[in-house]
Amino acid sequence: MSAVESFIEYKAKTGMQCGSYRIDLPPLKENQQYRFHFDATKCIGCHCCEVACNEQNNNPAQIKWRRVGEVEGGEFPNVLQMFLSLSCNHCIDPACLIGCPTNSYIKFDNGIVFHDDEACIGCQYCTWNCPYDVPVFDESRHIVTKCHMCYDRIEAGQTPACVQACPEGAIEIEVVDTKKWLQEDIDKEGNAPFLVDARLTNSTTRITLPKNMPQALHPMDEDLIKPAHKEWPLVFMTVLTQVSLIGFGALFLGDIAAHFTNLPKPSPLMAFVIFALAAIGLPLSALHLGRPFKAITAMKNLKTSWLSREAAALGAFVAGMGVVALLYYLGIDGFLRIMVEAVTLAIGIYGIYAQSMIYRVPAKPTWNRVTTTYRFFSTGYIGTLILALLAIAQHQVNVANILLAISILLGAAQLYLFWESQRFYERIDPDNPFAYQIERSARLLRENFKSLYDFRKRSLPLAALALPLLAIVALNAGSVGFGFLFTLLAVVLGFASEFVGRLLFYSTAIKTGMPGNFFAGSQRP
Amino acid sequence: MLEKIKNFLGFDVKLKENEMVDDPIFGKLPRAKKPEHWVKSTCGYCGVGCGLYIGVKEGKATLTKGDPAHDVNIGTLCPKGLSEHQMLYASNRVLYPKIKKGGQLTDVRWEEAYAEAAKRIKKIQQEHGNNAFAVISTGQLLTEEFYALGKFVQLGLDTRNYDGNTTLCMASAVSGYKQSFGSDGPTASYEDIAKAEVVFVIGANLADNHPIIVHHLMKNRKNKTIIVADPRRSKTSQLANIYLPIKPRTDLALLNALAYIIWEQGWYDERFIKNRTNGWSDFVKHIQHYKPGEVAHITGIDTKTLYRLAQLVANNKTLICWTMGVNQSAQGTDTVSAINNLAMMTGNIGKEGTGPFSITGQCNAMGTREFGFTSAIPGYRKFESQKDREAFASLIDVPVEWIPDHRGYKYADIVDAIDRGEIKGLWVVCTNPLVSFPDQKKLRRALQKLDFLLVQDAFMSDTAKIADMVFAAATWGEKEGCYTNSERRCNKANKAVEPPAKSKSDFDIILEFAKHFDRHDKLFGGWSEPKDAFEEIKKISKNRLCDYSGMSYEKIEKLGGIQWPCNEKYPNGCKRLYGEDMRFEHEDGKARFIGAHYKPLEEPPSQKYPFILNTGRTVEHFHTRTKTGQIKILDDLAPEAWIDINPKDAKRLRVKNYDRIAISSPRGKVENLVVRVTNLVAPGTVFVPFHYNTQLINMVTQSLFDPISGEPNYKQTAVQLHSEAYPAGISLHEPIAGILEYERATKERQSTFTIKQEQE
Repeated sequence: MSAVESFIEYKAKTGMQCGSYRIDLPPLKENQQYRFHFDATKCIGCHCCEVACNEQNNNPAQIKWRRVGEVEGGEFPNVLQMFLSLSCNHCIDPACLIGCPTNSYIKFDNGIVFHDDEACIGCQYCTWNCPYDVPVFDESRHIVTKCHMCYDRIEAGQTPACVQACPEGAIEIEVVDTKKWLQEDIDKEGNAPFLVDARLTNSTTRITLPKNMPQALHPMDEDLIKPAHKEWPLVFMTVLTQVSLIGFGALFLGDIAAHFTNLPKPSPLMAFVIFALAAIGLPLSALHLGRPFKAITAMKNLKTSWLSREAAALGAFVAGMGVVALLYYLGIDGFLRIMVEAVTLAIGIYGIYAQSMIYRVPAKPTWNRVTTTYRFFSTGYIGTLILALLAIAQHQVNVANILLAISILLGAAQLYLFWESQRFYERIDPDNPFAYQIERSARLLRENFKSLYDFRKRSLPLAALALPLLAIVALNAGSVGFGFLFTLLAVVLGFASEFVGRLLFYSTAIKTGMPGNFFAGSQRP
Repeated sequence: MLEKIKNFLGFDVKLKENEMVDDPIFGKLPRAKKPEHWVKSTCGYCGVGCGLYIGVKEGKATLTKGDPAHDVNIGTLCPKGLSEHQMLYASNRVLYPKIKKGGQLTDVRWEEAYAEAAKRIKKIQQEHGNNAFAVISTGQLLTEEFYALGKFVQLGLDTRNYDGNTTLCMASAVSGYKQSFGSDGPTASYEDIAKAEVVFVIGANLADNHPIIVHHLMKNRKNKTIIVADPRRSKTSQLANIYLPIKPRTDLALLNALAYIIWEQGWYDERFIKNRTNGWSDFVKHIQHYKPGEVAHITGIDTKTLYRLAQLVANNKTLICWTMGVNQSAQGTDTVSAINNLAMMTGNIGKEGTGPFSITGQCNAMGTREFGFTSAIPGYRKFESQKDREAFASLIDVPVEWIPDHRGYKYADIVDAIDRGEIKGLWVVCTNPLVSFPDQKKLRRALQKLDFLLVQDAFMSDTAKIADMVFAAATWGEKEGCYTNSERRCNKANKAVEPPAKSKSDFDIILEFAKHFDRHDKLFGGWSEPKDAFEEIKKISKNRLCDYSGMSYEKIEKLGGIQWPCNEKYPNGCKRLYGEDMRFEHEDGKARFIGAHYKPLEEPPSQKYPFILNTGRTVEHFHTRTKTGQIKILDDLAPEAWIDINPKDAKRLRVKNYDRIAISSPRGKVENLVVRVTNLVAPGTVFVPFHYNTQLINMVTQSLFDPISGEPNYKQTAVQLHSEAYPAGISLHEPIAGILEYERATKERQSTFTIKQEQE
């Protein structure tokens, strides 16, 4: 008799899932799926589930599909210490699945949200999208991985590792009627302190909490604030494509204006430089992928993924600009070029809009604001500055003046948006459900990234307003040399400021997730 | 190069090794780990004694799975157990025996190591007497190894100075049981924890230290009242119906007061007291000093709660369990006896769901208590008893003069004797005093005076690093034998893989080493494997309380462990001791009431050292972290020592989470502790885990020991905290008025106790 067999009898008597390697789940009916039940009144924070999960799934120590978080509230001796063991909530509307550009997530008929490892390109967009911080990037495998409820064990009537391992029976697998869950129970049983509202993605995990919890609870890692990834390839990619777009817009307007005014036509050099910015920037984004050789498959999910849309639109935009640059080079102008430019610009605008929408996800509260979209466009003031610089070099002072004026206009918008964001961090609305995350982002800016943030504060007004203004003054005072110098400085400082600003944008974006462990925090690499 | 490019581009996502394949026993497992076969065994960490299977693939242990058919853990394991196989491949394993040559530990061959060690031991013993060589062992060898080691040390090396690290954890329980019942031996079973109506957990944090026992504790939860007494709001206290935030080390007063109330209210079990105990009337006189009003003042537990507790304990099936909060105290033995008193007067012993029940901390602390030859002659025989000595000598066929007639120095006495120059050589087996022993400065000073330090360990511990010689030992999973758990259950541990490199099982080391000494043939003639020791253990334990005579390896495995006594009367073992059919072990067959007085702290908080430091464990780590510190998934959760500070004290010290702080006592200072601000500790008290050699808290703990058991008083140390804002520390009391009040309170407390003792 094997260990499992001898245990069946015991289990039949007690009906428990913990300790047992076998599980009996009823067949699913319509609108039913499997889900986790976690009982916080039983959990003693022993971390068995974490270790068992890693052992079962052959994950390295730092890749945890299940994690135990810890909160505390009250005053000695009336203190509540509560643990939350959570892995994937196998949501009814999974944010990971909706955002995935390669369709690597599949919601099985039994409700399990499954990740198709081979299809994944390691873009990690799901790690931004999931408000529970569930998917995790495994560097050694180049892909994101996540809890699949030990689906193959469940199919074979075997208990998932965490359920089996929990000595207190705090984790169970249940069958849930999704219709009833969404109608009645989710608000009562789907939420827990420091988790997002379960309705955000229609999480299915049922959580039993202690009665009479203290008013004020603190996650044990509330003062442990780890910066998010720096995402260098994306810093360059986003800034360069945005600069390119606005530059291209100016090029287009210049091309039209040349037909109606005395202004000279934009030069092929201008067209080429503007094209080059995006042509260099866009492929950089592949470097942040775990599997760059599959980058092209990022366009698979145009239907629901902003990332697919961005990739496709910006790809087309760069191609369009390439054609335009060629037309300039060949000296072909007129209606054809204007039409190609118009279409390219429209695609580019959509591309940058799609790009901004990637970041407008509830799981990243400091990104999830309309100003993100505005900022992505107004960053383009550098595009017109670059064109102005080229215009000065080509002794087109009147063109340069116009471009500098546009730069100042865009720069002012950018500066306003930056000031607005400073206010946003300084006066955090306590009623904002994401105040906890925003406060942590603000602390990162104030503490960990103080010098970079100071640089951003000082450099932006200079690059976006002061230097372009000085350039206009110098040009109109007849000093082309100083005009050129000021514009050049504005371009260089503008790039530096925007790269730093974008770096802060990424690295201070604190995610929603779960309360953490005192030392290990959210237990994410 | 090509590989690098392929890796960068992300071709291989390791689908194959992560693919699930079928295992006939445990179901779907990842291909990379799926074992070729499973070896049934027992966990080698703590005293809970969980049954498990070790998965072996290509000669390597790849998985550890809880045995679903084992009564102790019914398929579960704690996080340490679940990752236990990883421990075998830790980078700090001792692979070869070593001798210090030119100041460097150098790998040598076994023959050279044995010869050199034997030479040096003999030299010390010839020049300074046999007792100038001492041995300190552990609670983590197998029972067969303990028996062999004890025999070799006491009879072969003929030194009395032999003790184990069990003196640092369970000695008080042993002495307390002996005082009350005439013999060591935990009385109850885990099943009793499940079936009790009231479980009184005193000085134990099961949830962190014995998570699998919590499984039993939470059974039958609706019909059970759980009481937890702990100065700290522990994880276990979160599970309680009643939490008693007791003032540090006032447990003996609490227990005496409960006895008083039970007597006063007539809730005691007259029949049990009359038929099965002695000393009742003296005890009743004794507890008159513990009126609830006064004890409420001492313990911080109000009178009403005391009455409620007494009522619950007396009028239900009550089990009282404890661990280090009780044992590691200068009055640990007496506190254990006070627990026993409570059980005896309420008749809560020898019946289902009752019992005074110590939970052991090491996988085989019990094995060394039964047959280790440190605090008793194997089989719970007394050194002092001529009868016991003769019986044992004849059973193992040696001259009776060989059998020691007294116990030698206890652990702390050995350290003192080294310091005095009386002991010149020391053999440390499978323990790491350089982290675990209190008052480290004194210990380290003493060890420097040794002529010869031999360390036998599977891991390059802090102590091994300063040794003159190291014996490379095998560890759990690499050797065979028995572990006895807290509930007297003898479990079988089996060998799954070969010991790495030239390391050997402790059993083999002892037998081979003994060949270099005279009495080898008499002691180990014909022995070759652990089973030979087991057979002798069966023989010498026959008709003793810890009777193994009815056991065999096969039977132990078949039954999932056997709780001794196991003999003709109890062929499948015995769930609990001292039922109606079992005498107590005192000569008259009765249990004794022990009247012991509560003493206030020897080192109370003062102006200079205003905080009380408590030390203990965390679930992720075991002992001195030589094993768990090497397991990344565990170590990441608690990579260094922290200090729990109440928010009020944190505010006074102007520290916040993750600040670094130093702690000091008259004995030393520990720097760099990570501040964790938490309400889980009371204002004026702090908690620091003891696992860490990086922030070695035993630099500040004191040389204060229980006079009977010799166990250190680890858990109450007056300390000062040094923050960046207050490098000299702070005073907890407001100027003048506050100080007066505080002093008056201290004086009052002392004076009440002087009066009491005079009345005695």
